[in-house]
Amino acid sequence: MTDPLQTDPAGQALVAPPGDDPPGDLTYFAFAESKELEPARTSAPSGFSTMPEVLAGRYCIERLLGAGGMGAVYRARDLLAEQYGDPDPYVALKVLNEDFAESPDASAVLYSEFCITRYLRHDNVLRVHGFHVDTSCERAFITMELMRGLTLDKLLCERPLGLPWKELQDIVLPLLDALAYAHACGVVHGDMKPSNVMLSEKGVRLFDFGLGRAEEGVLAGLPHLSRERFNAWTPGYAAPELLEHRQLSACADIYAVACVIYELASGKHPFRHLPSTQARDQHLGSALKPPCHLPRHGWPALRTALAFDAGARAITAGQMRDAFIAPSSWPWRRKIRPSR
Amino acid sequence: MPVAAHWRSAARTHAGKVRERNEDACLECPEQGLWVVADGMGGHQGGDIASQMIVASLAELPVHENFDDRLIGIRQCLHWLNRRLGQELTVSAGRQDSIIGSTVVALLVEENRAACVWAGDSRCYLWRGQRLYQLSRDHSLQQQLIDERQMNARQARAYPGAHALTRAVGAAEQLTLEVLELEVFPGDAFLLCSDGLYQGLSSDALGRALNLALPAMALERLFDDALRGAARDNLTAVVIRG
Repeated sequence: MTDPLQTDPAGQALVAPPGDDPPGDLTYFAFAESKELEPARTSAPSGFSTMPEVLAGRYCIERLLGAGGMGAVYRARDLLAEQYGDPDPYVALKVLNEDFAESPDASAVLYSEFCITRYLRHDNVLRVHGFHVDTSCERAFITMELMRGLTLDKLLCERPLGLPWKELQDIVLPLLDALAYAHACGVVHGDMKPSNVMLSEKGVRLFDFGLGRAEEGVLAGLPHLSRERFNAWTPGYAAPELLEHRQLSACADIYAVACVIYELASGKHPFRHLPSTQARDQHLGSALKPPCHLPRHGWPALRTALAFDAGARAITAGQMRDAFIAPSSWPWRRKIRPSR
Repeated sequence: MPVAAHWRSAARTHAGKVRERNEDACLECPEQGLWVVADGMGGHQGGDIASQMIVASLAELPVHENFDDRLIGIRQCLHWLNRRLGQELTVSAGRQDSIIGSTVVALLVEENRAACVWAGDSRCYLWRGQRLYQLSRDHSLQQQLIDERQMNARQARAYPGAHALTRAVGAAEQLTLEVLELEVFPGDAFLLCSDGLYQGLSSDALGRALNLALPAMALERLFDDALRGAARDNLTAVVIRG
């Protein structure tokens, strides 16, 4: 064993003598030619060893953008678009993880996500381009618009004290708008959390409808993701009814988005990232205080949305948005504002 | 302007002789003075995802900032990844083992300054003046037993579960990174590696390899030596030379 460097109280690194004698047989290759160095190299994504560098003869995988329990998203270059001189031939490409891709209905789940997202046409919902299958590696994948910006979980890391309402409302209002629209279309997101919302140069985008569900009669014929067979959630954002394996409804999205808004407005998750069932059993709801950056008129709405009991969570995304809109922006209020 | 244009490096990762998957990942950016090794947590599903996320995210960090800001950037990025792999992870009901995590060891060099940032048991070694120094101290139960219970290395190694990590990206709500800053001298050589590489090699063997003038030669020697052994784990090494 070698000795580690010891650090003295002043933080100065002290070199401790190693127990080894220096090697005797030294060989030098001072004049050997070396290859030109390239700027950055990462090792190839190994978990996707069965995945070719170019998918479906068209999408060249460039880098991993994000990954989770079920799928991974890459930045890819659309070689066809590039050939036609497209100034921005980049797309985001989602494939299921190797483990998950092996389950028999994995592609149907991915197709369902594609179909649900395509069904939603809203400025604040990510746009999907297409659903494809690479026949050589037998992997299905979705291509989507590539967003450049930062996800809300990254924003929260950069702004640990939360955001002032002036800034926050530009995120929260479009987000609630997107959610209200999805719910009006009969679609539930099912996995609302900071990392599924992007603040891009083109505005707020809600994405990842991988656990989404279309209500009865909407997108009829589309295989519904069976919650009995495939139950997944993000512990800190899933409503109690989701954790207790009851039917997923828009109400679960309301709880999750309320957690996200609370966190953005205070820097802290309302229930210390605990699963909602645990927070409920510890009666954390009664001790909840309004987040520091939320205007007072928005608190009753947010508090209602954070109710553990789905029945008491009697507020829609649209009603939340309306409650958050600053009274000062109401027309009559503008009229009485003193002139400068 | 390239911040470490005179640095040469070579990197390699190998699944080893037993494991089917390689959950290690590495990053080699000599032009930016940044090198990384990450070892996805063994036994956990998605270990490769965690290590790949780490190298892909660190590769995208801005390079125009000064050394101190870049160091802050690396740390912030790792704290974000800790959240992403922990609190933001979607878990499935049927899977009990839902932790996704990875060790990380990163080396940032600019002119005569270097900083090593790490969590877990991937290591950074320095070869200076014909001597080998281990710059990083493992965040493992084994190291904890040595530090806190005054066990020697052999006793600690024999302790049940000695290889268990005490820190890793994605493993706990709060990540504590360790950072060591040092001055770089001409002729210094660094080695970043996963435990799969150093477990099978003596410090003599590491020293002999690092003494070779070209990083590619050093790397070849390290892998030749390591792959002569059992190589049960994935193995990864990055050799950097001024």
